[in-house]
Amino acid sequence: MIRFIIRRLLLSIPVVLGVVVIVFLLIRVVPGDPCQAALQEKANPTTCFAFRERFGLNEALPIQFVIYFRDLLSGNLGESIRTGQPVTEILVQRMPTTIELTFYALVFAVVVGMTLGIVSAYRRNSSADVTTMMVANLGVSVPVFVLGLFLAFVFAVLLKDTPFALPPTGRLTAGTIPTPIYEAWGLKDLQGPPQTILEFIGNMYTVNAVLTLNSQLFIDSARHLILPAIALGTIPMAIIARMTRSSLLEVLGQDYIRTARAKGMSPRLVMFRHALRNALLPVVTVIGLSIGALLSGAVLTETIFGLTGVGKTIFESITGRDYIVIQGFAVIVAIIYVMVNLIVDISYAFLDPRVRLS
Amino acid sequence: MVNRPRWLSLATVAMTAALVLTACTSGATPAPPTAAPPTAAPATEAPATEAPASEAPASEAPASEAPATEAPATEAPASEAPSVEPTAAIGTPYPEPNEQPGPPQDISTAYPNYGGDVDCENGTFNGLPYSGSVKSITAPDPATVVFTLCAPDVAFLSKVAFSVFGINDADWLIEHAAAGDLSANMNGTGPYRMDQWQRGSEIDYSRFENYWGEPAAAATAVLRWITEPAARLQELTAGTTMGITNVGPTDFDSVKNNSELQLLEGGGLNTLYLGMNHDYAPWDNQDVRKALEIGIDRQRIVDLFMPPGSEVATHFTPCSIPFACEGDDWPDTDVETARQMITNAVGEAGITTTLAYRNVARGYLPLPVETATDFQAQLEAINIHATLDEQESGTFIGNANNGKLDGLFLLGWGADYPDVTNFLDYHFGSGCTSAFGQCYPEIYEPLTTGGQTADDAARAAAYAEANNAILDQVPMVAISHSGFANAYLAGVDGAQASPLSNELLFAMTPPDNGDTMVFTQNAEPIGLYCADETDGESLRACEQSMQSLYGFEVNGTATEPALATSCEPNEDLTVWTCSLREGVTFHNGATFEARDVITSFAAQWDQLSPLHVGNTGTFEYWGGLWGGELNPTAPCGIEGQPACEE
Repeated sequence: MIRFIIRRLLLSIPVVLGVVVIVFLLIRVVPGDPCQAALQEKANPTTCFAFRERFGLNEALPIQFVIYFRDLLSGNLGESIRTGQPVTEILVQRMPTTIELTFYALVFAVVVGMTLGIVSAYRRNSSADVTTMMVANLGVSVPVFVLGLFLAFVFAVLLKDTPFALPPTGRLTAGTIPTPIYEAWGLKDLQGPPQTILEFIGNMYTVNAVLTLNSQLFIDSARHLILPAIALGTIPMAIIARMTRSSLLEVLGQDYIRTARAKGMSPRLVMFRHALRNALLPVVTVIGLSIGALLSGAVLTETIFGLTGVGKTIFESITGRDYIVIQGFAVIVAIIYVMVNLIVDISYAFLDPRVRLS
Repeated sequence: MVNRPRWLSLATVAMTAALVLTACTSGATPAPPTAAPPTAAPATEAPATEAPASEAPASEAPASEAPATEAPATEAPASEAPSVEPTAAIGTPYPEPNEQPGPPQDISTAYPNYGGDVDCENGTFNGLPYSGSVKSITAPDPATVVFTLCAPDVAFLSKVAFSVFGINDADWLIEHAAAGDLSANMNGTGPYRMDQWQRGSEIDYSRFENYWGEPAAAATAVLRWITEPAARLQELTAGTTMGITNVGPTDFDSVKNNSELQLLEGGGLNTLYLGMNHDYAPWDNQDVRKALEIGIDRQRIVDLFMPPGSEVATHFTPCSIPFACEGDDWPDTDVETARQMITNAVGEAGITTTLAYRNVARGYLPLPVETATDFQAQLEAINIHATLDEQESGTFIGNANNGKLDGLFLLGWGADYPDVTNFLDYHFGSGCTSAFGQCYPEIYEPLTTGGQTADDAARAAAYAEANNAILDQVPMVAISHSGFANAYLAGVDGAQASPLSNELLFAMTPPDNGDTMVFTQNAEPIGLYCADETDGESLRACEQSMQSLYGFEVNGTATEPALATSCEPNEDLTVWTCSLREGVTFHNGATFEARDVITSFAAQWDQLSPLHVGNTGTFEYWGGLWGGELNPTAPCGIEGQPACEE
């Protein structure tokens, strides 16, 4: 297994390198430039020359790439052209929002999707099956922005001033300032990577709340995540439900399932002990792909719910031609994709001994 | 192992190679100079490598004296020279500065008379070219600052009131410039002090107890941001915010009909215009331009595509700005006459051209595609057959500002400061934008006069002459001034829809006299060192906490004293003496004095200063408002420097 993991990790290096090269070139092929995007009507050749000079954009492209790649190898992702912030700092601020949102969206998608899929397969051709599959179809069909605005309207406007009211936007209630973990733990003087790591973790507010035992913060951050998590998780939920159902139905028709039933095993045991585990392989693949998509593609959800995560940051960087941020985030997202796929592959081995043996 | 087809690998390699080639050709290497336009090309059109301003030796004709259209610099007020570039003689490398700056502290100790050696006549300072209009900033005593200008500037107060000239504590500025974190912090003198910028979420402010003026109404304030108008309104309706900017044009009625909300409409200080470059045929024909002047149904554009509160432009500058609407109004629409004029000018076939625009919603053009499409139809009615040419935003701006658009184009302008010079001088002054081609003396001469006198009658007469000349020459067709609206909870007292987009939270009281005022704007600020920012969202964030020598009245455009009790000009408006307010403290406890003013201005003014660091380092507004910086670095297009990018 270790050799398998090492081999996969080595194979992922050219993938990441490819992403680095292609993203670097691609964003420079797109028309427009950072100066004109930043200064709009007030851009003029002299100002833009100085602007490009400052960010090294007047250099020949190969030189720009060599400088970028050298910095990348030393762990320096550069500084944003728009804001001047180091990209690593932006990642520490923005990535936790996306990770948290993705996590809860995935929990929603997996729990609800698999439950619906199992119920549907278990009661095949019943009204429950038809209903759950209708829900799944609806989930796939409704665009995220429609669902998001609808949920926000229902829970924030229609149910306003009721116990079911939920905030329509933002990560926390206005004016709430969460205490960084290192401060709560009395580590104010902490510096360097440990501080960055704790800051990263602390920016996942539900995690921060648990680690700092702040129940108010937990409730507030969880309430703000419910609607975006449902909006974001609905499409994967629907896909998982349909995949679980079809995969289960296929497995339930296998000989070994008939044998298990013939031996007098209860239907529930047959379902959960024998059928479900074997039906999970394609579902795990879908979940793995969903994680990658959710981590990088939650632009609409983040926009509608006023969350500033990875998707929105990349989108804003593309429109603002902030090459450095796009490059940095693309590399990190590519690495996450590779890692998630690796984890999915490893999970195959745990789920199916035949994969392990091969 | 999966066997992939060989062609797939080859195709991948080929695609990558193509990408590299494309990127290399469109990347940093400047494009070669383009051919001259079909009609006679004036100097303004020539690429820098062909006919740069550097043809005039610096010692003989400095940049500020030799704008492309022959206007002497001495006639040009500060705001007329936004695009004048520092130059060097051909064949000689860009000069080295005589003196390098010392440590940052020198700015306010050994260097109290900043810029004292500026030579306005020859446009030099410290051995380098200088194209700015500020001659010196001096402090005869800790409570007085004197600004000496190279040319009279009637808009001085409006300029210093602009939030980019917020005053910082000198020591704080030196410390944070060195630390490189100016953009993330603020230390002003305003009624709110910034507590924290939660990146991606909000900025939190709390009342500054030592504020010199009337304290903030609410104990704390929160500035948030949501890009989607629908989501902003949803948040307001849910009551999780108390005010929002820029209600979507389709939501005006729903806000008006909601008794829990209030809608405040504001007149935007902006102008949409239909532009054309007169150096290209057929726009060099005045009759064609005259036809366009009356051929567009501008009321229809306003009715169909602009938010309520918008108005048809009677003049290029919005009339809420003093002296903007002197002279005659724009003539009424007369499509039949316009069509006849076009036919007379170019024949029955009419004109075949392009209508360039960018698909980016701006305050002056909220619905670009729909508006451009309607223009196309209206142009067809007057025998102009225009093909829509949607360009990428940056490319479009570059093409317009470099005078490369040979057809019609839709562009606009938003006010930096509420003075007529900001609108007219940039576009039609002696250093006019290249977007319209050559400058017109008939227009820029009265503009120069208007910018150099404080006498109201003389200003009114000058701007009447300039506006009438615009009507006569038709360098463009002014279309509209787009309005906007903010929405608030009904209980908010002191709600604002500022024409300058500087809604001030300290002047608003939350419903039921609550402790926290929450306000949601369009986007997150880019940085909080507003000297080096240009986006309205950053400026609004700064305005809650920072103050300049002068400020703008709440919800208005009139200037009023802030950190200065007064700034008095001499007779010819070239020397402005500012008396500083006493008893003012910064949020960090430091006492406000003249040194802080000099340091704050010098940080923007002097490119060699160690304090000349911000977000992008461009300090765009300094150049735009005061003409140029001290110790400019070598510009593009001169000896030893790369050509300016096309």
